[in-house]
Amino acid sequence: MELIDYLNGIKNNNRYIIAKAISLVESTLKKDKKKASELLDRCINISNKSIRIAISGNPGVGKSTFIEALGSYLVDKKLRTAIITIDPSSTVSGGSILADKTRMKNLSKNKYAYVRPAANDCELGGINQNTRDTISIFETAGYDVIIIETVGVGQSEIDVRSITDIFLYLTQFENGDVLQFIKKGILEICDFIIINKIDLDLEKSKSLKFLIENNLKLIKSRSQSVFLCSAIEGNYIGYIWSGVKDFFEKNWKKGKIQSIRENQNINWYKQRLKKQIFKKIEESNIYKKNIKKLENKNFKNPNTLLLEIIEVLKLN
Amino acid sequence: MKHNQHTKTNNFFIKQTKSDWLKRLGDRRIKNKFNNIFFDPIYFQNNRKNISHNKDGEWAITHKIKIKNSLSANSEALKILNLGVNSITFINADNSDLNVLLKNIQIDIIRINFEKVFDVDKFIRLFHKFCIKNKINSNNLQGFINCKSLTKDKYFKYKKILPNFQFLKIKTINFKTKSIQKYIDFKNILFVHNVDKNMIEEISFLRSFRINIEQSKNISPFIEAIINTKNSNYHNLIETCSKSITAILGGCDSILVNSKIRDTLKIQQQLILKYESNLNKVSDSLHGSYLIEELTNSLLDSKKNNFKLPFENNYWAGPEEIKLKSKYDQNDTEGLTHTKYGVGIPPYLRGPYLTMYCDKKWTIRQYAGFSTAEESNKFYKKNLKAGQSGLSVAFDLPTHRGYDSDHLRVFGDVGKAGVAIDSVEDMEILFNGIDLNNISVSMTMNGAILPIMAFFIVVAKKNGVKLKNLRGTIQNDILKEFMVRNTYIYPPNPSMRIVSDIFNYTSKNMPKFNSISVSGYHMLEAGASADLEIAYTLADGLEYVRTGLKAGLDIDDFAPRLSFFWGVGMNFFTEIAKIRAARYLWTELIQEFNPKNPKSLMLRSHCQTSGWSLIAQEPENNITRTTIEAIGAVFAGTQSLHTNAMDEAISLPTNSSAKIARDTQLYLQKETGICNFIDPLGGSHYLETLTDSLIKNARSYINEIEKVGGMSKAIDLGIPKLKIEKSAIQRQSSIDLNKSLIIGLNCFKTKNNKKIKILEINNELVQKKQIKKITNLKKKRNVNKVTKLLDKLTSCCRNNNENLLSIAIEAAELGATLGEISFACEKVFGRYQAKTIMNTGVYEKKHINNKQFMSARKLSDKFELNNGRRPRILAAKLGQDGHDRGIKIIATCFSDIGFDVDIAPLFGTPEEVAKQAVENDVHIVGISSLAGGHKTLIPKLINSINAYGENKIMIVVGGIIPKKDYNFLYKSGVSQIFGPGTIVSQAALEVLKKLTDGIN
Repeated sequence: MELIDYLNGIKNNNRYIIAKAISLVESTLKKDKKKASELLDRCINISNKSIRIAISGNPGVGKSTFIEALGSYLVDKKLRTAIITIDPSSTVSGGSILADKTRMKNLSKNKYAYVRPAANDCELGGINQNTRDTISIFETAGYDVIIIETVGVGQSEIDVRSITDIFLYLTQFENGDVLQFIKKGILEICDFIIINKIDLDLEKSKSLKFLIENNLKLIKSRSQSVFLCSAIEGNYIGYIWSGVKDFFEKNWKKGKIQSIRENQNINWYKQRLKKQIFKKIEESNIYKKNIKKLENKNFKNPNTLLLEIIEVLKLN
Repeated sequence: MKHNQHTKTNNFFIKQTKSDWLKRLGDRRIKNKFNNIFFDPIYFQNNRKNISHNKDGEWAITHKIKIKNSLSANSEALKILNLGVNSITFINADNSDLNVLLKNIQIDIIRINFEKVFDVDKFIRLFHKFCIKNKINSNNLQGFINCKSLTKDKYFKYKKILPNFQFLKIKTINFKTKSIQKYIDFKNILFVHNVDKNMIEEISFLRSFRINIEQSKNISPFIEAIINTKNSNYHNLIETCSKSITAILGGCDSILVNSKIRDTLKIQQQLILKYESNLNKVSDSLHGSYLIEELTNSLLDSKKNNFKLPFENNYWAGPEEIKLKSKYDQNDTEGLTHTKYGVGIPPYLRGPYLTMYCDKKWTIRQYAGFSTAEESNKFYKKNLKAGQSGLSVAFDLPTHRGYDSDHLRVFGDVGKAGVAIDSVEDMEILFNGIDLNNISVSMTMNGAILPIMAFFIVVAKKNGVKLKNLRGTIQNDILKEFMVRNTYIYPPNPSMRIVSDIFNYTSKNMPKFNSISVSGYHMLEAGASADLEIAYTLADGLEYVRTGLKAGLDIDDFAPRLSFFWGVGMNFFTEIAKIRAARYLWTELIQEFNPKNPKSLMLRSHCQTSGWSLIAQEPENNITRTTIEAIGAVFAGTQSLHTNAMDEAISLPTNSSAKIARDTQLYLQKETGICNFIDPLGGSHYLETLTDSLIKNARSYINEIEKVGGMSKAIDLGIPKLKIEKSAIQRQSSIDLNKSLIIGLNCFKTKNNKKIKILEINNELVQKKQIKKITNLKKKRNVNKVTKLLDKLTSCCRNNNENLLSIAIEAAELGATLGEISFACEKVFGRYQAKTIMNTGVYEKKHINNKQFMSARKLSDKFELNNGRRPRILAAKLGQDGHDRGIKIIATCFSDIGFDVDIAPLFGTPEEVAKQAVENDVHIVGISSLAGGHKTLIPKLINSINAYGENKIMIVVGGIIPKKDYNFLYKSGVSQIFGPGTIVSQAALEVLKKLTDGIN
């Protein structure tokens, strides 16, 4: 397929070509990478008014069910919704099981929805360059809402934050100390906290809400909202959506969203560059040679080795 | 729930002895005459004789070859040796050239026999010469030469050359110690035994014969069982199978089958008995059985002291990881507490009824139903005429899932794998001319239980049958649907409410009707081991009991109407032990609810032979498998039985295959004499040890479920599903690795292209007929009244103020359809959505050293290198077919091999699956089809994919696809088809190769 075919297909919302375009940006082949970057150059558009939402939370908290409920609500309003889910690859076989569609049964068959599961290629948390590129493709295809689901491990929340407008964090009441289950850093970066599964115990859920709200007051830097929700029964979904939408509209009018996206772009390119440069370094002979020496247990002066790399590659 | 009480049972129930049993029986005493002595049908622990022999569990599979010329006899011999024979009998070897006849035959590792040799002197000389020439040590050879006139001189001469040969053939029946010359060593005599149909007597005879000689001569005789059959065609497989089991349990050294059936089938029957039913693992496996020991003992000439020979402990573990020894004796059963219990009184270890089959044979209940109510009705009537004693209705998938035949989602499924029932009118046709007063009807229905029960009740009323006389069973076991079978409609909570409404209604109005059939069968079929099957089935049962109690019923109101449904697999002794263990455990569990009626503690069983154990290769072998499983079910004391037809691995049964299946049971009831005895294997040290292990394992699994708060909770957490699937993957990988043998599949393969006739349903025609009937019905009924009642049903679902079944009956009477009644509830309850949790790494763990697996993995790595991403496959099922064991095994194994595997939600239409395939940009769509909808659904899928753009997605199909449909599917665009029993890593390798070729 030629570049122009991809572009036209995406713009015409051709499901088949969108799928192929996403596979193109996911591809690890050199020739595909080149084509993909040319395509993306013509796709990117920051002024696009689609809402980019990140959804994170610990395993078992009901992220997929929540997305199914929220997504179903959106497609009922005829809002075109794209969902990107990320599943772990096995570090041994490289293979993966992508069962998200079984948990998003309605969305997987609705014509307003596009569900695309991706394997994380063994990257922790799995947010990578491809995820962002996939967003671009969906935006070019005119999707109104783009939802990215990620498993709450390690770096992924920070990563997903850096490519989305709004961050929703899902949690639920637990027996024992509730707040241990929310990492401190997350409270700071998220915009909405959703307490799911209130159908199991409303009282405990309410007291968790109270606790979180108190904690948020201590941070004070930003204003976050805490919502109760039962994704499985579909309760409070409309309420949450209007909160999310208001937040977006307000900040869009202020120009905040746009400036965040600009910053994200700059950071994004910096990061991508860093990666490229580091890859180049990794491929250099002097690096390989010195790393080998480093790995030799009896080696005593690692600092001189680093200096040598910097010297030879003229990095300083 | 208190767990510490489990131990209480041991002392709670009364130990049973023969005199207790006789006292309870009163004057209904039954006697068997055998060897001029009368025997009771049952014996007990307190009068057990303990006598055993030391023959190990292996037997030689003997085959006869008539020599016409040496060359052709040689090639025939080589052919059958390849099939798995390890003993050959040549007839007329006098004039043959041994160099040609025995060419390439390793006579030192098989038994080699010669019949009808006229000049024995000359022959042995030539044979000896042949051995010397080929550097074979004739001292080690085993076999037989029939010498008609044997003198002392000759004997010693022959014996010198062939010390381990037999030279004299004596029939066991004619054997008298005196008639044999004293100088003849007993190891040089071949004893032949013509196996009779009576199983128990024959087993006892064979044992006593061996023990007698062992005790008097201090040597174990060589006994060859001759199995003759006069039955024609496939029916003789039933007879030879039953007789072979007799010979094996009796401890024969060799089996020779004389029947006109194809050699392959004859031989593979023996292999199946050895490797699939594991009858070669334990020697004298019935040692200890109270009855068999009693009969054996009565036949012994001289009663010497019990003797014991040393034996090795070769441990072998089945799928339940119970380590087995090669021999069991009283040391193994010493201290087992369960063995003191008997039959007809709690805890019902040896059977629920005092007299068992002596009084009432098990019900022959064949599960059937296809296409329309009219066709099924015809089929039922024919079967009843042919000796079947109960009906069992199979519904089609749309009916199960609560859709009318005109619903848009069910295209392709109507009338497949069961009968389509949309309204009372269909039900009326289904039972037209069948007397519901006398014929008990079992209905496999769990999802759309309200409309189906309603239709059934309305039809009974219309036919003038009183509800209190209605006999039969409704499956109504919704919990296992969430675990394995997936034909649910509503989520677990409202589903359980329906269950309790059914209990309430039936306990008040239908006292003879079994309101639930708690099913382990589907777990076995989904790959559960025996202990998991017992544990989860009983845990389901417990949950139902609590549901009934919560609904305000007394335990004795409904517990006696609970029945159980087990699958019976190939692992002969384990399967027998399974059902005995289940009976015992159920009593233990129900005991804690303090019932007054002992029948509340009684577990009654329906059994079905396993469908998973059947394979598409050499389908006639499935007759053997089914016979073995049926004998297992009967030895276990089942109350009713379905035997599978041999073509069940390929399609729905035809008239002739259904007949063979039914006749299997008729043969067992009428010919084998099994019905004269009660728990005939009871007491066998091997069986009782197994029973004990299964009780213990299952009990610990049950406790695990109880700890999380019962089965509903456990299902919510996904515990049972994961465990069963893990067990299934383990079993698949042990088949793939040849650790579990399946004859004709992963060993002893043959090329049989013989086509068997199969039944095909024209589902478009059925659908048209059904739609017409629905349209007519809707025209003539009073719409307002129907709508009003359906609204009432909906509001009752919401408010829980009336019995749902009562309202459904009213609605059904007015002409509401199945889909309408279901949907009225769905409005409030919603449709259940399965969670998919997968086991990964299980297949990998077992395969890490397997060549094929590793080369598949390498190929998937290479694919990524060349194509920029991993091979990606969408694993999907189409339509209402919810059997997802196959697809899940494929998904986890393929991901372990290195595929990115997308899984499609269950019950997708072709259009929906196409959308998912395109969106995910997969390379391959893998469809698993088990319900026969492939010819309509798969072409539709391919068209839908093509509609999105140029199609490069490869379509692979697995499951039950008849051979004759292959071409049709290939023409529609399917690139590969994998039948039942495919080795998964092999399939992955083939798919990858084809994919790579397609892309380059």
